[in-house]
Amino acid sequence: MKRADIVGMFKKDKPRVKSTLRQFYGVVWANIKIMFAYKSWIIMDLLSTVASVVMYYFVGLQVDPLTLSQSGWGTSYLAFSLIGVATSNYLWSCLTRLSHSIQHEIRGGTLETIAVTPVNMLTFFIGQTVRGYLVSLIFLIGVFVVGIAGLGVQFVTTPSSLMATLVVFILMLISNQGLGLVAAGIIMVHKRGDPVAFMVASMNEFLAGVLYPLEMLKVFPLLQMASMMFPYTYALDGMRRALILGASLADAGVLADVVALSAFSVLLAPIGFVVLNWGYRTIRMNGSTSSY
Amino acid sequence: MYAVETLGLTKYFKKEGGKSARIVAVDHVSFGVEEGEFFGLLGPNGAGKTTLIKILCTLIIPDEGTAKVAGYDVMKQPDGVKESIGWLHGETGGRALYWRLSARDNLTFYAYLQNIPSDVAKKRIDALLDFFDLTKDADRLVKDFSTGMKVRVMLARTFLPNAPVLLMDEPTVGLDALGAIETRRLLRSLCKELGKTIVFTTHNIAEAERLCERIAVMDKGKVVAIDTPLKLSEMTRRFRGVEVKVSGSQDDALKILERVEGVKRVRNIQPEEDHTVIQLEVVDEDEALAKIPEVLRANGIRLIGVQVALPSLEEVFMSLTGGEKG
Repeated sequence: MKRADIVGMFKKDKPRVKSTLRQFYGVVWANIKIMFAYKSWIIMDLLSTVASVVMYYFVGLQVDPLTLSQSGWGTSYLAFSLIGVATSNYLWSCLTRLSHSIQHEIRGGTLETIAVTPVNMLTFFIGQTVRGYLVSLIFLIGVFVVGIAGLGVQFVTTPSSLMATLVVFILMLISNQGLGLVAAGIIMVHKRGDPVAFMVASMNEFLAGVLYPLEMLKVFPLLQMASMMFPYTYALDGMRRALILGASLADAGVLADVVALSAFSVLLAPIGFVVLNWGYRTIRMNGSTSSY
Repeated sequence: MYAVETLGLTKYFKKEGGKSARIVAVDHVSFGVEEGEFFGLLGPNGAGKTTLIKILCTLIIPDEGTAKVAGYDVMKQPDGVKESIGWLHGETGGRALYWRLSARDNLTFYAYLQNIPSDVAKKRIDALLDFFDLTKDADRLVKDFSTGMKVRVMLARTFLPNAPVLLMDEPTVGLDALGAIETRRLLRSLCKELGKTIVFTTHNIAEAERLCERIAVMDKGKVVAIDTPLKLSEMTRRFRGVEVKVSGSQDDALKILERVEGVKRVRNIQPEEDHTVIQLEVVDEDEALAKIPEVLRANGIRLIGVQVALPSLEEVFMSLTGGEKG
């Protein structure tokens, strides 16, 4: 191709067509392409999914079914823990995926490249989170397939219990993503926030009772109080009520969880957007859009 | 209407370690670039060129003053600015690409964000990959590319949106000699034939002199001079001298010229195949022009010509920026 051909091609211009949806698709498309470029990571992730479920199966063999049933969660530890294990990836994804991705973009200099295009940065940031959601979805499906088909775990899957699970699950995503936006905004400015985000996610996972009934925290009142500060605690409670006990949205326990999660969502999502916007504006003020 | 216009544009950055101390990265910069003009920003490291370009791209928020690109205010109408520019990330060695995407996918992704229709994007991507000699590597991951190849992908990406204003930070850094020549030629064609406005920063004085219609020389955040390369040369009178072209022995000519009244020093000697060009710094050019032919002829030296010598842009640059060369 000669110079004259390039000039000729540009002479025959066609107007651009603004489409946020197409830009969003582009971000998700590129992210998935990048994800599949890490072939060994995908294999390792699949293996770790199977390994973690098998591990909890053997942990479950050591748990006294009586203790579990006294807490009101039936007799299958594997069913109890499977819900926590399957959704914990979403917790990590909501809390850390965006901040991790922004750090990567700043370090690589690509954030600037994106920021000078006509894409709304919010569209870009939300598009970035989709990859984490998809990976978590694959993990969630993998965990349930291994648990149900491989290890014989049984859940209540009536339409009302599934509806309750879905509502709680969506509210869990919104509220935790709000926290994730806050983390991303702060890390964008302070650059070295990864350990803090990691600590918050770990504490969240531990205190919300992924692997044990919260009733066991009664002997540690401070920890029990702290656990109430995290939306994931209510999400696990609501999903377990629905999938293990067959509760619907009309159930008082599920309803209380839905109210708590809605309150977290209403509070955290707007705060998240404000902090993210503050972070992006701050790095444009101090000129650190590509420095780390 | 200017294609790019700044008025009192100023940007401060906090000094590291100091709570209230700050440095001025861009200091009350005002200039206008005409539509279709090739405009250079020349300056040493830390002069503020990149910060200025980043403000024009909406990447950095200025503290004072205003800037407009294609008629859009960078603060109030950033979306309009972004739709009007092609930007080349400077001095990254190809860092600002997605290394886990192929060259073609990097460009396709960019086309999505730039709202370029799919059919147009495909044609343009193929053409630009071909122009930058990347067709056979188009589907390889960028992580396996050399620095020069990465820079070529970045250049293709800059041209992809066919934007009316190109803001380019060091566009030929990282390219081999041939690639740099082709890129300069393309930039010139885009400017001359399509009327694109090009603002680019460079350390390369010869490149600025060759390409730019006007140059702004920056130092310590300030624009210290702004004009055509020729007028910038004329501005710096203290470097004025005369250029003497003689045939025969250069040593004989030098001995005589150094003794001519009003000659301060010999600035440069450039031997050619059948003659020598000697540049002299003089007290007064007119007097030197009158005396030198007379003295040389009297001493039997064959004079081919004598004329006033303007300083090179490099000398102007060094003079304006206090001697530091970028």
